[in-house]
Amino acid sequence: MSSPGDSRRTTARRRETALFLLAVPALLLLGIIFAWPVLRLLAMSVEDGTLANFEKATLDELYLYVLFDSVKIAAMVMAICLLVAYPVAFWLSRAGRWGVALGMFALLLPFWTSVLVRTYAWLVLLGRNGVVNRWLRDAGLIDAPLPLLHNTSGVLIGMVHVLLPYMVFPIYASLLRIDPDLSRAAEGLGAPAWRSFLRVTFPLSLPGVSAGCALVFVLSLGFFITPALLGGGRVIMVSMLIEQQVREFLDWPFAAALSTVLLVATLAIYALIGRITRGARHA
Amino acid sequence: MTILTNRRGLLRAAGGIATAGLPLPAFAQGSPPPKPDRIVVNASGGGMATQLRRSYFAEFERLHGIRVVDTSPVDFGKLRAMVTSGNPEWTVTEIGGQDVDRAKELNLLEPIDTSIVDLSRYPAAGRNSHAFIGSAYSTVLGFRSDVFRDGSHPKGWAEFWDVRRFPGARSLRNHPVDNLEFALLADGVPMDQIYPIDMDRAFRKLDEIRPHISVWWSTGAQPAQMLVDREVVLATGWNGRFFELARRNAPVGSEFMQGSLKSSAYGIPRGTRQAYWGQQLFQVMTNPRLQAMYATELSYAGLHPDTASFVAEDIRPLLPTAPVNLERQFWLNVGWWTENGARAQERWNRWMLQRG
Repeated sequence: MSSPGDSRRTTARRRETALFLLAVPALLLLGIIFAWPVLRLLAMSVEDGTLANFEKATLDELYLYVLFDSVKIAAMVMAICLLVAYPVAFWLSRAGRWGVALGMFALLLPFWTSVLVRTYAWLVLLGRNGVVNRWLRDAGLIDAPLPLLHNTSGVLIGMVHVLLPYMVFPIYASLLRIDPDLSRAAEGLGAPAWRSFLRVTFPLSLPGVSAGCALVFVLSLGFFITPALLGGGRVIMVSMLIEQQVREFLDWPFAAALSTVLLVATLAIYALIGRITRGARHA
Repeated sequence: MTILTNRRGLLRAAGGIATAGLPLPAFAQGSPPPKPDRIVVNASGGGMATQLRRSYFAEFERLHGIRVVDTSPVDFGKLRAMVTSGNPEWTVTEIGGQDVDRAKELNLLEPIDTSIVDLSRYPAAGRNSHAFIGSAYSTVLGFRSDVFRDGSHPKGWAEFWDVRRFPGARSLRNHPVDNLEFALLADGVPMDQIYPIDMDRAFRKLDEIRPHISVWWSTGAQPAQMLVDREVVLATGWNGRFFELARRNAPVGSEFMQGSLKSSAYGIPRGTRQAYWGQQLFQVMTNPRLQAMYATELSYAGLHPDTASFVAEDIRPLLPTAPVNLERQFWLNVGWWTENGARAQERWNRWMLQRG
C-alpha cells in the first residue's frame, strides 16, 4: 500500500515526465540541427589528427588579436546598448497605451528592415559629407567633418542600432513583471524615488538585464556585415576571418577551429555575465 | 569574399534593343533528355540578374519552354557543400574567376560539352574544359570628374600613388587581389612582369599609400557610392559600377589604364540532374547578339568575336574588351592567386591590423 504522500509524489513525477515529453520535439530539433553539426564542426577541426589548427587559432598573434578585438567590441556594444535601452524600457513599462504603441513601433520598425539596408543608410548619414556632418557644420559646431565612419565608432553606432531591441525587450518584460505595489510600499515607507528604484526595481529587473546583455553580446560576436561596411576595413571581427576561410580558401578545418574558439569564448563570457548579475541580485 | 560575388550592377535603364535570337544548331546527338519544368541558375543577383534574364534566360525559355529560376549570391563554399551532399540545387552557377581552377581540382564541375556549346570561334582565353566564360570585367581606376577635369585624372597606378600631384582621399579594396598588382605597377614593374608577385615589394609600396586611403571597401557598391557622395575622389572598382554611374550622368569617370582584367565564369555543379539543359543554356549564352544586349546594359562583354559589332559605337570604348582597352590592361593571373591566395590574405590581414 502506498501512502497518500507517495501517490502525490508519483503524480508529480508523472506530470514532470509528461511536461518533459512536451519539450522532446524541440530538443530533438535542436539536437539534429544544432548540436550534431556543432559536434561535426569540432571533429572537422581535428580532422588531420593534430591540434595544429587550434594552435594557430589560439597562439598566432593575428587570430588572438582579432579575437580580443571582437570581444572588446562586443562588450562595448553591450554596454552602450544597456545604457540606452534601460531608460527606454523603463519609460515603456510606465507609459500609457499610446506611449507603448509608439515606442514599440519605433523599436520594431528598424528591426524589420534588412541589416544591409540599415547599414547603407548609416553610410549616407555618417559620411564626411553626410547628413550629420553637414548639419554640424551648418550649425557652426565643427570646422572639419568628424570621422564618424570607417572606424570603430561607425561600427559601434551601426551595431548598437541593430541590436538595441534585443536589449530593450527582455528588460521591458522583466520590468513589467515587477509588482508595482513593491515600489509603492518602499515609497510609503519613506524611501525617495531614486532609492526605491535602486533598492527595489533595479535588482528585480536584473534577470532581464542579464538576458539582454547575454543576447546582445553573443549576437555582437557573430556580427559580420556591419563591421565590414562601417569599419572601412580597419575593424576585423573573428566572424570575418571565419568567413574568409570558409568561402574563399575552403580551409574548413581551420574555420572550424576558429569557430570552436569563438564558441568557447562566447560560452565562457555568457557564464560570466550570468554569474555577475546573479551576484548583484544577491548582494 | 570572392572577386566576383558583389559585382552587381543596379541598372534599371530600359534598353530599346529587340531580342533577336538566332536559331540554335542541333548539336546534341540522339534525343535530348526529358524536359524538366524549370532549371535553377545561381548568379550575383541585382542588376546583373535582371540583364541575364532579359538577354539569355528569356531566349532559353522561348527556345526550350523550360522556366529559368534565378538565385543568388555566388558562394563557393555552398557549391562545395552542395556537390558533396550529392544533391545540387543549382543547374548552373556563376563562379568567381579565381575559383574555377580550384573547383576543377576539387571535381565540383561537370565538363563543358562542346558538342552542345559551340566555342569554335571563341578566343583561347574563353575556352575552359569545365567552365563557360560568360564575360570579362576589369578592376579600374574611378575618379570624380569634377575634381579631375578634362582628362587631368591619374592614369595608371604610379599616378594614383602620387598624392602630391593628385591630392584627395582615396579608397582601395580590402583585399590583396588587384592591390598587390597595382602596388607593383605603381613601383615601376612592367605589366608583363607582375607575376610571380614579389609580396615584400608590394606591401612596402602599399605602406606608402596607406595613410591616404580613407576607406578600404568590401562590397562592389561601396566605391561607386563613395565617389558619388564625395567621400573619396579616387577609388578602384569594377568597371561595370563606374559604367553605370557614367550612364546616369554622375560626375564619375573611369580609367582603363593598367586595369586588371578577369573573366566571369559559369559552371554546372557535378551531379546536378539537369546538366544537359545547363549545357543548352551555355549554348544560348554564346549568342553574340544576346551578349551585345547584355554588354550594352552592364559593360560586361562576352567573348564571342562578333559581340562588339552588335554594340552601339558610343558604348564600345567603355567595354573592357574593346581592343583599345585590352592592350592597356593586364589579365589577372588566376593560377598565382589559387596557389598563393591564402598566404597573401593572411599577410594582408596582418598588415591591415598594424596600427598607424
